[in-house]
Amino acid sequence: MTRPAAMDEMVDGKGGLRTHWRSLLGSFSALGEGGLAERAQRLTRAFEEEGVTSVLPGATAHEQSWRCDPVPLPIPAAEFSELEAGLAQRATLLDALLADIYGPQRLLADGLLPPALVYNNASFLRACRFFDTPSRLQFYAADLVRGPDGAWRVLADRTSGAAGIGFARENRRLLTRVMPEAFHQMQVRQLRPFFDLWQDSLQKLAAPRSGEHAVGRKANPTVALLTPGTGAAQWFEHMYLSRELSCALVEGGDLTVRNGTLFLKTLRGLQQVDVLLRRVDGRMIDPLELDHGSLLGVPGLLDTARTGAVRISNDAGSGAAEAPALAAFLPALCMRLLDERLLLQSVPTMWLGEHRARSVVQQDPSRWLIRSATDGGAQGLVPASMQPPDRAALLRKIEMRPWEWAATASIPPSVAPCLDGNGLTPRPIVMRLFMVHDGVRWQALQGGLARVLETADHMAGRLPPGGLAKDVWVLNAERGDVAGPLPAAAPMLQIRRATGDLPSRVADNLFWLGRYVERLEHSARLIRAAIARLARGTGLSAREGVELQCLARCLVEAGCVPAELGNGSSSTTSLAEALLACVREGGMLHDRFNAVSRLTESVRDRLTGDMYATFTQALRTARANAATVGRSLDGLSHAMVSIQRYSTSVAGVAAESMVRGGGWLFLDLGRRVERAHAVTGEIAIALDHAPERIETGLRLVLELCDSAITYRTRYLNVLQPAPVLDLVLADQGNPRGLAFQLVAIHGLLDELTEGDGREMLAGAAAGLLAEAEALVEAVLEAKDQAIAASGLPPKLESIAGALSELSDRITRRYFALLPVAQTLGVGPEADDPADGLSVELVGAA
Amino acid sequence: MKYRVSHTTTYTYARPVDLASHMLHLSPRSFLGQKVLWSDLQADPPPSRVNVGADHFGNHVSWMFMDRRHDTFAVTVKAEVDVAFPLPPKACDTMPWEDVAKAASAGGSDGWQAAEFIFDSPMIPTEPAAGAYASPCFSPGRPILSALLELNGRIRKEFSFKAGVTNVHTPVSRVLSQRAGVCQDFTHLMIAALRMHGLPARYVSGYLRTKPPPGTKPRLGADQSHAWVGAWLGPQHGWVDLDPTNDLVVHDEHVVLAWGRDYGDISPVRGVILGGGRHSVSVGVDLEPI
Repeated sequence: MTRPAAMDEMVDGKGGLRTHWRSLLGSFSALGEGGLAERAQRLTRAFEEEGVTSVLPGATAHEQSWRCDPVPLPIPAAEFSELEAGLAQRATLLDALLADIYGPQRLLADGLLPPALVYNNASFLRACRFFDTPSRLQFYAADLVRGPDGAWRVLADRTSGAAGIGFARENRRLLTRVMPEAFHQMQVRQLRPFFDLWQDSLQKLAAPRSGEHAVGRKANPTVALLTPGTGAAQWFEHMYLSRELSCALVEGGDLTVRNGTLFLKTLRGLQQVDVLLRRVDGRMIDPLELDHGSLLGVPGLLDTARTGAVRISNDAGSGAAEAPALAAFLPALCMRLLDERLLLQSVPTMWLGEHRARSVVQQDPSRWLIRSATDGGAQGLVPASMQPPDRAALLRKIEMRPWEWAATASIPPSVAPCLDGNGLTPRPIVMRLFMVHDGVRWQALQGGLARVLETADHMAGRLPPGGLAKDVWVLNAERGDVAGPLPAAAPMLQIRRATGDLPSRVADNLFWLGRYVERLEHSARLIRAAIARLARGTGLSAREGVELQCLARCLVEAGCVPAELGNGSSSTTSLAEALLACVREGGMLHDRFNAVSRLTESVRDRLTGDMYATFTQALRTARANAATVGRSLDGLSHAMVSIQRYSTSVAGVAAESMVRGGGWLFLDLGRRVERAHAVTGEIAIALDHAPERIETGLRLVLELCDSAITYRTRYLNVLQPAPVLDLVLADQGNPRGLAFQLVAIHGLLDELTEGDGREMLAGAAAGLLAEAEALVEAVLEAKDQAIAASGLPPKLESIAGALSELSDRITRRYFALLPVAQTLGVGPEADDPADGLSVELVGAA
Repeated sequence: MKYRVSHTTTYTYARPVDLASHMLHLSPRSFLGQKVLWSDLQADPPPSRVNVGADHFGNHVSWMFMDRRHDTFAVTVKAEVDVAFPLPPKACDTMPWEDVAKAASAGGSDGWQAAEFIFDSPMIPTEPAAGAYASPCFSPGRPILSALLELNGRIRKEFSFKAGVTNVHTPVSRVLSQRAGVCQDFTHLMIAALRMHGLPARYVSGYLRTKPPPGTKPRLGADQSHAWVGAWLGPQHGWVDLDPTNDLVVHDEHVVLAWGRDYGDISPVRGVILGGGRHSVSVGVDLEPI
């Protein structure tokens, strides 16, 4: 039997173009020869520059990431409204199905649903049974393919928390920028209203808090998006969504349940969360009742949801309706639950627990796509492309446990033109559409995410980590003639305020980002100073030799080189070797680059696109320079310059672009604490000389504090201890000196802290400043300044110690040091509690 | 037969616990074969929040949350229970075991609830060796109860009751190879064997009377939490409880706490704590006739 040919989205099968493609292609030809290819390049560049290539799965693997084709997939208004009606019905149906399986289970008792699809379904969460909730589904997506007969059919229902909508929105944003003409010529419906609707619907889910009027909606509910964190494939999409929906982006560790209420741990204390937009696998959200090894969830969350104090959207157990085999039963379930005929069919699918279905598949396996009966995230298997022994093995596996399998008819998906070099090539596509329930009815995103099918096994299952995507354009009926319903008129929106309160974890990450960037910078400064002397080889003067020894000690303190190089007896060659090693894999700078990259990613949701681009581009340049150093000290010096540039650009962009709220405060605080600590320690090392050789130390102090020019301006070439120490320790106007850092730390802590802590933290900084000033005063008044100066190191070390302690106190005060969670009564009883838990990152389908 | 139950579980922590959440399956349930006259659950220190409800299987669940520092957590249930399981039908009157399997997998009004217990569960994955061990009992067409009783007796005879050779997570394959374990292991083994034959089998937790009835031999597994198997005889006769540790058909010496697919569904004291360091657990159970 010959297979029917795939339908072509663009042509009508009689040699003509479909109407809605005509004007689209017209606008392309207006771009001229090679115009489209040029736009495609601009599009790819835009994706790379803004880091959107990584909005979806496959964040860092470049060759595996997503690209967007400049040719969209246009859908005429009438066709789309039919799809929208069909999807709305399916979403209603699946919500009713969930209400039954988590409630009375009449569908099972009446034999309309085989027990295997519920009881043998890992996403059917028994802990969610009997939840009293008006709905379990507020967000729904479906993957659709169009068969040779021209009808769109659903390949997969996504009820847990479908990925891809952030990507759809990014595709549109960049395409609008790169190809504005096309949008002018066509009437393309907007995507933005959907996000407003979604945001509004999430707010409506909030239950009135105790004390509030029980009727009507809550005044200013807090919505948070729960993500597995930066390690998750969809992290960037989660970040993107949290911005689009103006909700807090939180991880399990940011939340805590107290007395039946869910709270976000912020700098200002616990803040109640009313609605949780769940982007973590439902099985992972509560280690008390569900997967006990999960660190992604919050113990007690289900108890809180059970009483209605928090709404989880979609409900933890909603993934049960993704079971592929359900498709076989939907027509009957639709009649039973909604008393309607199913409007939008599934791609023909059979549950292989039925004997008859099994024999059909056995007769000709190549006509089917074999899928898990219950796991909608599992990839399909394609018997047609299997070797005969593998195919036989698959059939045997099915025969052993038939209830675990489903078969979906393998139909050729429609093809759409994609840019290929300078021409267009038709390629098979699958389209994902998104729906949200606005409290009254289901509404569709007026667009979607189409993707090119590279291989048939990517048809079902999770979104693959990369590929070619297409923007879906929903066209209005006629230009200037708006027939039929307008794009859904959004109901009046409530005024809302984004949650400005910083989660403690984010503050912690910003603080350490500040510290690490500063640490990178001063390591670079030390290394350059050392290289300048090493470069002189044997021509090193005695004074320079002493300076190099001091620098070596500073480098040891900074962790750049091994401790034995600080004892003054090592050769210049071994110091040079150690410096070269520290940019290599396993070296200190290499590790610090990693730490800075990791922290930058983790606070990315707090940075604007431009800031993020500045942070990462300068870092990438610095890393690239460091990677090519090889054995050249010159190259190393060059790499250090680019580290200093990186640090300067971070400081600049933070100063210019970050709102002076919690986030900036912590970034700056980290930086100041680190610099204060480093400066104090280095001055202590530089001054550690006999009084008669103190001048060498003073010279080095000025160099390390980048203050030589200022000194010369003030005091010409006369080098004396008191003026030097005043400039680097007590002058509040010297941004490289200690006093400047302490004043800044005092100001930042004063702004951050309220109540008792203020005295303790800000007061400590003020005390250190007074101490530094007293030190300089004492040197100034001493009979012999040189003797006084050479006696300073122990006192400076004690200031450095006090700074470390201050940093610890800041950490304790702001970044809750939580002990490790452990489970009782289920997991193996671990010797070390930390070993009893494993971190698993599970993304949404 | 009326019993008074007293069951105390005490956790002692090496370091203080700051925050604790517990889910308890400790209050006995009422059903056809058992009536709970009263039951009372107390915790020390007293929790800041308590919630009670029923789980998917109809068992009583209590949730307890503590947000004050504590070094120990003790929870005690006391209850009075009247037990009288109906006597099982005559073995020869029960359905052929293959028909029971068919009725369960067909689901629908006759078998949908039993069907839940034919599938793998997290702690009892497919174990062909368990099926092979039991298959001599399941000759074609044999009445199901007759096969079950033989299997129940074989496990008692062929396995030795030894504490400390297994733990909560010992797989059935290991129990089979070492031919030793405790009540939970024998229960998981028998459930795995029945499910390999397509037969619904569930995990029942509860207690066994501390002193055996006069004139009978001492029972194994008294003085602690006990576990046994619930097996389905088909739509007509429903469930029968079998205790493979003692080769008993459960009648009036057992008190049922809860049932589920395996231990994991009904772990008596489940919890997540913050802090605590290492901990030790002690359990004391007393079941006396009144």
